[in-house]
Amino acid sequence: MKKLAVIVTTPPSSHLTQTAFQLIHNTLSQNIELIGVFFYQSGVLNANQYLTIPNDEFPLQQKWQQLNKEHCIPFYLCSTAAEKHGLIKSDDPMSMDLILDEFIIAGLGELVELTLKADRVVQL
Amino acid sequence: MTTSQQKSISILNTCPPFGQSNAKDSLDVALIMGTYEQHTHLFFQGDGVWQLVSNQAPETIQVKDFLKTFAAFEFYDLENIYICKKSLQERNLPEIFHIENVQVLDINDFAKKLTESDIILRF
Repeated sequence: MKKLAVIVTTPPSSHLTQTAFQLIHNTLSQNIELIGVFFYQSGVLNANQYLTIPNDEFPLQQKWQQLNKEHCIPFYLCSTAAEKHGLIKSDDPMSMDLILDEFIIAGLGELVELTLKADRVVQL
Repeated sequence: MTTSQQKSISILNTCPPFGQSNAKDSLDVALIMGTYEQHTHLFFQGDGVWQLVSNQAPETIQVKDFLKTFAAFEFYDLENIYICKKSLQERNLPEIFHIENVQVLDINDFAKKLTESDIILRF
């Protein structure tokens, strides 16, 4: 099976992110192994657990979570980009966590690893 | 850091340096690719060519001059730097850059070089 890695750079408020999701979702039925999704630039905002999407709109974040759980696709969150966007993981157990549990905080080194392992990398 | 595998990666820069953060985000990726000893090629096209223009003064708009870091490309083994001649001409820019070893390519050679890599990332 061919290995695919995807880089998501657009925020949840952008319709381009829905396209990214759709692309990823469609690969699952195409005999392609998705080895990971790397969230970079404004793409990190997809990990903010306080996002509120109106009921009559595409439930993007819920879809990301489903994808992660049902297909065990690792989601990597660029730590520098996340911090720049105010998404921090606090060591203080009393403070609120902004980042969804599905996202693994990673450095850009993880992006290099993904590009090495993948047969193809798609950046959206 | 070393990895056993190597791939060739092209990073295509199409944004001017100081308006958005794309150029800086691209630089971060380029440096990390260099650190992991990947064959990394940097391309500048469209408004991305402004990233190589000398004597800019980003401090006047309170932006950190990350273009200074370009001078360190050699230490990261980032030695393949290509700029699109047509993009320079369209902007009436001379072939003078703030770093050395920039190769000016016509649009066909630029496209050919770009597509030789395993992976293209665009910022």
